[in-house]
Amino acid sequence: MIRIALAGNPNAGKTTIFNGLTGLRQKIANYPGITVEKKMGRCQMGDTEVEVLDLPGTYSLVPASPDEAVTSAVLKGERSDTPAPDVVVAVVDASTLARGLFLVSQVMELGRPVVVALNMTDIAERRGRSVDAEALARHLGVPVVPLVGNRKEGIGLLLETVTKAVVPPAPTWKRTEDADPDLAEIAGRYAWVDGVAAACVRPGPPHITSSERIDHILLHPAFGFATFALIMAGLFVTLFTLATPLMDLCEGGITALGGWLTSGMADGDLKSLISDGIFAGVGGVVVFVPQIALLFLFLALLEDSGYLARAAFLMDRVLHRVGLHGKSFIPLLSSFACAIPGILSARTIEAPRERFATILVAPLMSCSARLPVYALAIAAFFGSWAPWAQGLLMLGLYVLGIVVAFLVAWVAMKIRGRQGTSPLLLELPAYKVPQPSLVVSQVWHGTSAFLTRAGSIILALSIAIWAITTYPKPHADDLANAESRFEAAWKAPTGVSPEEVATQREDAQGRFIAQAALEHSIAGRLGHALEPVIAPLGFDWKIGVGLVGAFAAREVFVSTLGIVYAVGDPGDDTADLQAAIRADTHADGTPIWTMATAASLLVWFVLAMQCISTTAVVRRETGSWAWALGQLVGMNVIAWLASFITYQVLR
Amino acid sequence: MSTTLATLATHASALVSSITGEPRLRRRLLELGLVPGVSVKLLRRAPMGDPLVIQVRGYDLSLRRAEAALVEVQS
Repeated sequence: MIRIALAGNPNAGKTTIFNGLTGLRQKIANYPGITVEKKMGRCQMGDTEVEVLDLPGTYSLVPASPDEAVTSAVLKGERSDTPAPDVVVAVVDASTLARGLFLVSQVMELGRPVVVALNMTDIAERRGRSVDAEALARHLGVPVVPLVGNRKEGIGLLLETVTKAVVPPAPTWKRTEDADPDLAEIAGRYAWVDGVAAACVRPGPPHITSSERIDHILLHPAFGFATFALIMAGLFVTLFTLATPLMDLCEGGITALGGWLTSGMADGDLKSLISDGIFAGVGGVVVFVPQIALLFLFLALLEDSGYLARAAFLMDRVLHRVGLHGKSFIPLLSSFACAIPGILSARTIEAPRERFATILVAPLMSCSARLPVYALAIAAFFGSWAPWAQGLLMLGLYVLGIVVAFLVAWVAMKIRGRQGTSPLLLELPAYKVPQPSLVVSQVWHGTSAFLTRAGSIILALSIAIWAITTYPKPHADDLANAESRFEAAWKAPTGVSPEEVATQREDAQGRFIAQAALEHSIAGRLGHALEPVIAPLGFDWKIGVGLVGAFAAREVFVSTLGIVYAVGDPGDDTADLQAAIRADTHADGTPIWTMATAASLLVWFVLAMQCISTTAVVRRETGSWAWALGQLVGMNVIAWLASFITYQVLR
Repeated sequence: MSTTLATLATHASALVSSITGEPRLRRRLLELGLVPGVSVKLLRRAPMGDPLVIQVRGYDLSLRRAEAALVEVQS
């Protein structure tokens, strides 16, 4: 077996070559103790097995970020968890040849066999600079394999060359006379690089590239933001309109499957655990998959086309002002679907401070799990408003989250000071048509990361929430109470068949018993116990029970409230629940739910950290309980204060 | 005339004369190819004037005015 490692600049096309070599025989894990991804794969070359390691992109073997430090350490054989490679494949983008060769000059000094994979020769040619691979190989003293990144051709040749690679002669660069050691070294290397490049690049006529023409519009001082806003709005609308039917389909499928599996079982705790605990939990995870897969699809398309770097460029001014980074844009955008993929994608921010700040505020973006709660409260209490005013209110909730996120990030920056913020040094790669294979693998890896890192937590929480809403079981006299309340409330519908009356009667009776059981359970008692804390926000114990349920996932609030109000799980049609909460009164006859309560509840859902799965992911990604718990407590304190003010002002 | 990349006119080209600033950042700017003598062109500024896009050694690099001010150029 031989081990090869791919090293190269960011955007040099390493991942394409990695995918070309390994197909889907890949494994993505973390380097122990740090959140840098370790991408490994295997392939076969005749009888020899080849293990391929895709190293994080780097500009130099003198690292400037944790990612680059991994590349440097692995290549030098300094990481105990990763054996040093037998052969280094230096991936060089022909269109940015000099910068790539700078890294090659360092790789050639490692004392390991080196092969240069010359990528994107087509883009270089279009830019009027075709690279002569044979001349390059002669001048470097290293085999050079030209590849057009998105085609299979060349991959076989690359493998063949790798098996025959030998340790190259050291490059013949000389330090310059400069007194500064860094300058003397780097200027010396670039002088050598320029000599090599001059000997093997056939310059064509200089011409305006299509990338420049596209940037002329997309980064235009006036139209730049307009097109940016248009692209993002389009992405958002598509994300929600395309995902919703798919999500309903997933949820329906899982529920039906659970129903079918338990249909032969006797009613009881086991059936309830399977259908209301496990299947509801699996459904709660699976329901997010279409949207998250779509999100990763859009991100992959934007990234691979080259626009994502431009988006970071356009947003840097605003984000940098509040202590974030242009690259924070991607995690924040993702968090509108779900904070978990958002926090996972914060890995692309090399700067540790800005990365932590991004993770800190990402859950303040209104995720799709909050949407059902927003929709319920707006429909029930602002339903008399004109549709455009309701839409504006909804938009206002999203804006509130963003504003508070920026405020929190800004305060965090003020506390820690500007010292140690990271520069923006961002390459804007040439625009290109996204490669399907690259996009597919990104969607696959992103979605499976969500399922493995969040899925198990959401499932465990769903089962825990099922347990506390089920146990302890109500006593006989609780049930008798529920029965008598039901008899008092029951009005037989008129004008329907006797069978229909009987069915409706049984349904209604079941809802009263479910309500009594929930009130008697741990969750019901927690709701009561929470009342002193949440009463100043205008919430009673019933909302408290809903909030307890929301810890599994925010949208569970709606179904829990449905049970508390004895209208059953409302699903998509919340009309009955809306009527029930509007009609609910305190003992003295004053309504519990007013517009102030609804507004306070909305503010709470925008700002509160209720999602334990997110807290668990933050703990993993920051490696620190202090960060995760600090965020949990801090967001809930802010949410409590904001809801308190909202309720007290509006009541 | 000696000036820095931050104050160069849009679409203007110049030659890098030296890089100043804190050693780690300075080293990174050099590694990205901004060594004395190389030709740079200020391609554009972001809609609010910051950050900038420059072209150096055939690729487009975006950097903030604060970093661009560390790159002294001769036009």
